[in-house]
Amino acid sequence: MTGQHSPLLRVQDLTVTVGDGATSVVEGLSFDVGPGETLGIVGESGSGKSMTALAIMGLLPRGAAASGSVTFRGAELLGRKESQLRKLRGAEIAMVFQDPLNSLNPYYTVGAQLVEAYRAHRSATRRQAREVAVAALDRVGIRDPRRRADHYPDQFSGGMRQRIMIAMALCLEPSVLLCDEPTTALDVTVQAQILDLLRQLQRENSMAMVFITHDLAVVSQLAERVLVMRGGEEVEQGTTERVFTESRHPYTCQLLDSLPRLEPVDDRQEGLG
Amino acid sequence: MVGYLVRRLAACVIVLAVVCVFTFMIFFWFSPDPAAQICGKTCTPDRIAQIRANLGLDQPFLEQLRVFVSGLFAGRDWGTGADAMHCAAPCLGYSFQTNESVTDLLIDRLPVSVTLATGAAVLWLLVGVLGGLVSAVRRDSLWDKGVLAFGLVGISLPIYFLALVLQYLLVVKLGWLPFPRAVPFTEDPVLWFESYLMPWVVLAIVYAAMYSRIVRSQVIDTLEQGFVRTARAKGLQRHLVLRRHALRPSLTPVVTLFGMDFAALLGGALITETVFGLDGVGKLASDSMATNDQPVIMGVTLLAALLVVVANLVVDISYRFLDPRVRRGTP
Amino acid sequence: MAIPAPDTVGVPSGAGAPASGAPASGRAVVRDLLRRPGAAIAVGVLGLIGAMALAAPLLAGLTGWDQYSFDPSAIDSYSGGLPRGGWGGISGDHWFGVEPGNGRDMFMRIAYGARVSLAIAISATVLTTTVGVVLGTLAGYFGGWVDTGLSRAMDFLMAFPALIFMIALLSALPGGNRPVLLVLVLSVFGWPYTARVVRGQALSLRNQEFVEAARASGASRWAIVFREVLPNLRGTIVVLATLAVPSYVATEAGLSFLGVGVTPPTPSWGQMIASAATWYAVDPLFLVIPGAFLFATVVAFTVIGDHLKSILDEGAVH
Repeated sequence: MTGQHSPLLRVQDLTVTVGDGATSVVEGLSFDVGPGETLGIVGESGSGKSMTALAIMGLLPRGAAASGSVTFRGAELLGRKESQLRKLRGAEIAMVFQDPLNSLNPYYTVGAQLVEAYRAHRSATRRQAREVAVAALDRVGIRDPRRRADHYPDQFSGGMRQRIMIAMALCLEPSVLLCDEPTTALDVTVQAQILDLLRQLQRENSMAMVFITHDLAVVSQLAERVLVMRGGEEVEQGTTERVFTESRHPYTCQLLDSLPRLEPVDDRQEGLG
Repeated sequence: MVGYLVRRLAACVIVLAVVCVFTFMIFFWFSPDPAAQICGKTCTPDRIAQIRANLGLDQPFLEQLRVFVSGLFAGRDWGTGADAMHCAAPCLGYSFQTNESVTDLLIDRLPVSVTLATGAAVLWLLVGVLGGLVSAVRRDSLWDKGVLAFGLVGISLPIYFLALVLQYLLVVKLGWLPFPRAVPFTEDPVLWFESYLMPWVVLAIVYAAMYSRIVRSQVIDTLEQGFVRTARAKGLQRHLVLRRHALRPSLTPVVTLFGMDFAALLGGALITETVFGLDGVGKLASDSMATNDQPVIMGVTLLAALLVVVANLVVDISYRFLDPRVRRGTP
Repeated sequence: MAIPAPDTVGVPSGAGAPASGAPASGRAVVRDLLRRPGAAIAVGVLGLIGAMALAAPLLAGLTGWDQYSFDPSAIDSYSGGLPRGGWGGISGDHWFGVEPGNGRDMFMRIAYGARVSLAIAISATVLTTTVGVVLGTLAGYFGGWVDTGLSRAMDFLMAFPALIFMIALLSALPGGNRPVLLVLVLSVFGWPYTARVVRGQALSLRNQEFVEAARASGASRWAIVFREVLPNLRGTIVVLATLAVPSYVATEAGLSFLGVGVTPPTPSWGQMIASAATWYAVDPLFLVIPGAFLFATVVAFTVIGDHLKSILDEGAVH
């Protein structure tokens, strides 16, 4: 599975437990992602996909704990000090969340929230950071970004907010982007636009991307490799082509069978979500 | 904004008018006859009728109300000839008990209540907000358990009980503090401070307990919001995540609460002032109620209503600055 | 002030409504509650106080004292009426001592005071909960002008200087059946706090799938309210009511302390503390005993309310 170059992000035997360590929501998961590569993680809701991403970021909710190993550029992340993880978050490993409606703080303008993200890692004046923010908004296709930067999140539609989240994640040009169902809450046309955008931005930055979704159709468009999850464990892992055409695993076949045949992007978002 | 202000002001006036009319109705229909009380035991029906006429109590309900309201805006004249006196607007009449002008009485007593409320508010905000905040951030720590216990005990302690117990311990048993009484600051700053110390602390304990519970649960709710996770995911420093993203949304509702509580106390901390014998508006209220001194009751009730209504207005307007969604009128 | 400030009369302090999740079975909730040590102790304390209140006449027969009769032999008239024997006059005869000045039995006054305090608080809770739930559901579920009218009324009552007005009203009405009057006054200003929360929850329930499904299947509006909406609000209502009781207990005691609540010789805890204000320096137990009972009752209800809320919140999460 490992490419010829050493992987950027390597997850080995990752286990996430909740409660008193009694229940594990992710069990013995392993995968690698290299620069410019996209890994799709597919599974039903509750299969532990989001927990995997949060464990990589070190942002597990209260009461959840991760064990195993997560290395970034060869350095172990699990158990690393919060202050050191903080320096990686956003700058090296960024994340886009599922719910764009709740992911931006309603009390601040989107410009201020982008500026804040930039200045958390780069020493820049407010004005310089604002220029970066406006450019980032422009890049994700927000029209009239200079004016819109002064608007509050509730003045944007869900799709626009997700674009803003992406702008925020990309303004520091991270080397790894974790996307947790970024299009699930959006309607189909907006979904297609966001996926196009992500693909384009990834190509420009040669960034590694982990794309988490319940939607096989999305994965088939975006990812070179796929990891299928169920109940916190890996079902199978391989190139997208192999998994989609030759998979013999019954669970994968079941997922594939539920795909409509003609349309690559389907509209069953709520079905499995 | 102008239209909004006009609507809000109109609502305030309605609340005040209703308070005024209701209080008047209670006096008019239910309350024992003040004339008989003033007249005392050796009293003839003629004498009662004369007192009633002097006080204007013989007038029909609406006429009494009209006179009272016009006195508020235009002042009133009392008596004739040499006894004539003018009561300037806002005229609330004269105390049945002491014949003092109610307006003067209120102005006289207000500083004590303001001192009491302000000192207590500073204390309870410090303790309540900080306690609740740290408690939420260090959930399940020893500190958190301490704050939770303090909150529970504090909101369950009746203030008069707490006041009497503290007074017993600190004044009677240990003699550390003098009996509280409202000494003006200019007269004896040390005694002033010592006199207010216990009332401040007692009021502050009860409110700080309530606020620590509220702030704690607000901050915990906010910390679970998606935008706080986003802020952490951007690599923001912990203190910035807390200060910018957790604190502001958590404290905005506390502003409402504080506005209302503070205004209520400015209008007299009835129990605290009564227990500690501080001559503030609250003591005036409870004394006047004990003696059925209707003009004074009317005065303190209206003042309390005015303060609450104004606080409501101030809170609503400040929301427009605190919460951008309210500012633009989106829900 | 200890009487909750005007805007918090009848409001569970510091506790919002729980998330309304799927209705958990009542028995399971009670089992969870009793498994938590804090809550179990609170239930025990309330059980004892409740039993004492209910059995007050029996206890009167047992101790040989009632709540009214004076016992001049228990006080020392030379010292101005202090209870004989120190410690507030606690003896085999008078379990909690006697009132200074007249020698009435403290235990009986506490027990009968509990009847008065709890009866008033529970009646006010039942009344405000009923009115609050009915009007809150109406406003939230039906919306439109019903909602507008009711919401205005709630805003108005909550912006009203309730405490001072309650006191003015009660002091102006010296006679009458005090407990009934207290229940009414507490309820008039208390119901909006329940109604507001219920309204919010009913509003969000209105658009949920199972309610929409019921509507689509042709169920009448009232049937939906009673079969779909109210059962889902059960948790919220129980928590609100549990936390309303202590706030009414405290408010009643505060009003009685100020002399506008329950009138003597009917005993009430707040009124007993008020009479202790002149005696506490020489007879501290006269202050501490009723204070402790009042405190214990309020704490116990609050603890149970807090635990119920957290149990129902957790139930909603799973």
